[in-house]
Amino acid sequence: MELVALLLAALLAVACVAFVARPFLAEPETGDDSLGQASPAERERLRLLEDRDRALAALKELEFDHRTGKVSDADYEELVGPLRRQAAVALQGLEPARSVEAEAEAGDKVDARA
Amino acid sequence: MPELGRAALVVALGLVAYAALAGGYAAHRGRRRLLDSATNALFAAFATVGVAALVLLAALARYDFSFSYVASHTSRELPLGYTLASFWSGQEGSLLLWLLVLTGLGSAAVALNRRLVRSVLPWTVPILGAVASFFAVVLVFVASPFATQVAPLDGAGMNPSLQNPYMMAHPPLLYLGYVGLTIPFAFAMAALASARTDERWIVATRRWTLASWTFLGFAILLGAKWAYEEVGWGGWYAWDPVENAALMPWLVATAFLHSVMVQEKKNMLRVWNAILVAGAFSLSLFGTFLTRSGVINSIHSFTQSPIGAWFLGFIVVVVSASAALIIFRLPVLRTHTRLESLVSREAAFLYNNLFLVALALTVLWGVLFPLVSEAVRGVAVTVGAPYYDFFAIAFGLPLVLLMGIGPLIAWRRASLRALGESLLWPAGVALLAGGLLLAGGAGSKPAGLIGYTFAAFVLAAIVLEFVRGTRARHALGSETWPGALTSLVARNRRRYGGYVVHASIVILLIGAVGIGGFGTTREAKVAAGESMSVGDYKLTYLGSEEERAANAQEVRARIAVSRGGDELGTVLAGKNRYFAEQQTSNEVAIRSDWLRGEDLFVIADQFNGDGTVYLKVLVNPLVNLLWLAGLVFVLGSLITMWPDAREQRRLASRFAEEGVLVRV
Amino acid sequence: MARRRSPARLVIALSVAAALAVFLVYTALAGGTPSLQPSDLSGQSGRISVAGKVVGKPTGTARGESGLRFTLRDVQGTARVPVVYRGSVPDLFRTGRDVSVEGTLVNGVFVGDKLVTKCPSKYTNKAS
Repeated sequence: MELVALLLAALLAVACVAFVARPFLAEPETGDDSLGQASPAERERLRLLEDRDRALAALKELEFDHRTGKVSDADYEELVGPLRRQAAVALQGLEPARSVEAEAEAGDKVDARA
Repeated sequence: MPELGRAALVVALGLVAYAALAGGYAAHRGRRRLLDSATNALFAAFATVGVAALVLLAALARYDFSFSYVASHTSRELPLGYTLASFWSGQEGSLLLWLLVLTGLGSAAVALNRRLVRSVLPWTVPILGAVASFFAVVLVFVASPFATQVAPLDGAGMNPSLQNPYMMAHPPLLYLGYVGLTIPFAFAMAALASARTDERWIVATRRWTLASWTFLGFAILLGAKWAYEEVGWGGWYAWDPVENAALMPWLVATAFLHSVMVQEKKNMLRVWNAILVAGAFSLSLFGTFLTRSGVINSIHSFTQSPIGAWFLGFIVVVVSASAALIIFRLPVLRTHTRLESLVSREAAFLYNNLFLVALALTVLWGVLFPLVSEAVRGVAVTVGAPYYDFFAIAFGLPLVLLMGIGPLIAWRRASLRALGESLLWPAGVALLAGGLLLAGGAGSKPAGLIGYTFAAFVLAAIVLEFVRGTRARHALGSETWPGALTSLVARNRRRYGGYVVHASIVILLIGAVGIGGFGTTREAKVAAGESMSVGDYKLTYLGSEEERAANAQEVRARIAVSRGGDELGTVLAGKNRYFAEQQTSNEVAIRSDWLRGEDLFVIADQFNGDGTVYLKVLVNPLVNLLWLAGLVFVLGSLITMWPDAREQRRLASRFAEEGVLVRV
Repeated sequence: MARRRSPARLVIALSVAAALAVFLVYTALAGGTPSLQPSDLSGQSGRISVAGKVVGKPTGTARGESGLRFTLRDVQGTARVPVVYRGSVPDLFRTGRDVSVEGTLVNGVFVGDKLVTKCPSKYTNKAS
């Protein structure tokens, strides 16, 4: 019994070590071992995306509350403006980034052809 | 085979320690392969702990008394079901269960959010590894389930009060709750460690938090049902430290669950949420420390087992590390978003946080004060139900009120006039209900009357929400009324599921006030043929019966019950005298009247030599609402957690925009 | 956007103050029965509660004429006090369990009418 138990335990240990070592065994040499942390530009983009989604969700909720009668017409008129502006600001923030990228991409393509 | 179990645990310890250390280095230096390796270690740890668990389970199934654990918690005549369940009825086994659930849930959470962890929250792995390491260390060095001995002829048996289906289900459900809170804790702290201020960890852990919170709440209620039926003093919650141990993390987790909604929507209360999640996790550790270390009996019995010291040390480490991390990241956590108005939904959530935390702290003080007093002055003071009841009312009633007002109040800034209009109907219903109850004699318990008025208010507010929503939906399209209701709930699962959960709390409140405030008790000594009356009921003692069961001598009083002339059958109440354990337990008779929601609770206190029996009888009004509340609670939670295809798509498209996928 | 001082801080400060006030009012009004050990009992009068470990074999019946008689010992000590109890006996009462009895001390014997057992830790072994 004892021998069987120890054998099984040894097998278990070996299997675990192999599993733990797998990332290194699968890629002994790798160019990029980094964790893909976001650059400041990417983080800013993420923040804008969240702002946009937050504003859009808030608008949706406001519409829902208005439709179900929780928010009066007057209050709705008062609140919807700032929320729409907030969403627009976030969307605008995302737009120039895209157009800058598009420009850079276009620039690259021009350079490559030249 | 115990060697296999022991070895498996040692391997598991190595794996989780590696996950913690290597994972920490990988997160700090940004090494992908090393992090993957640490993550694999976490997965492997689950498998290894699983092997250890199977070894123990097999030993139990075989009634292998060479395992000290099996010998001290089971016996030959114990039914197999209870024997297997004794896996978690003792110190070592329950620690093994904890580690199993921890590595299991941790692995699942990381696996389902692989890319998020890799790119945004790498510290999740080492944090989970560190927590698991503590339990692994304790299991290997302090409290091993695989200690062996010369096998005795028979085991010591299981405490008779534990031989009950509720008590068997209670620990696993409780642990799914306790341990589950580790997941949001790990993700939240990882977000802090990486100085991430985005909400992705919240989105990723939302269902984990909800599920853990639901299991914890349900387990507490299950424990109460056990106490009601088995311990049988007529009540359902004794504010015993063991009970409070689970209540405290649940209260703080409730605050976290709500407060995190504000962070998601308004990017506020971020410091609160970090504190709340760390608090909930620390309290869950503290809760299990309380029940294991013996410290609740007396501060002096603390030193009888080393396990208490280990747990206390770990809790200190967790609290200090969390506090340090939060303080370190305070500049990143603080937002410029300010609370605009004290009358707004944001403010309501803030008040909610405050009351829940206050209640949790009150319970904590009630548990700690006797210990502190004994340690400092040498004189213990008992903190009993009056203390807890007072604060449960003082802080609980405003919370109930908030449950009603919160959903009706607008974000950012609510005009008092609009709020008043929203609250008009519910307030009216509440006042009407209050008036009726007052006329019905509920004024004898003012706190109860107020509680019921508030309950009516909240229920009316919830019904109003459903009505308004359904009406709006119906107005949109060509759906029938039931169809409109279903699609309303389906499209707004979080909101309406939440309302159902709130309704369950109100139902619980109604039941609790009913049994606590408006019950009747009567004691009498009756001879065969004699009757006693309690409330509407008349009980006639018919005679006593004795029977010898496998492990106990059972004696019962047969009692005929009638109400207003109608015969309602007979009940059996009595005692069991257990041979092996030399203990006597009360076996109460409970006759539930489902229509009225009340219970007739009969305790046969004493069988006298002259043939008379001493009975203590209670009428517990509305007690069955407590259990109904539990079912509604789970239903509401399920609705809230139910996967929403539309929401999945939206989140998927958003995160695809940044190239990181989040599973919610 | 006007930058006002957040009212949130004020709310929190007021709440803490209010909570403390509630707490102080409660402790001033209620109090709580002091719980003593058998070794602290000498000379005590009035209604108190004694907490200790049940030792020896209990005799009598709680609803009987002479009540349930048992001995309570300091949890971590040797001082003992005899107890006569009349009332409901909870399920978990037995020799070796830690209990709390409420009543008065009469001529060196503690006469009690409320008995509470502490939920035993499930994790201590059967011997305790």
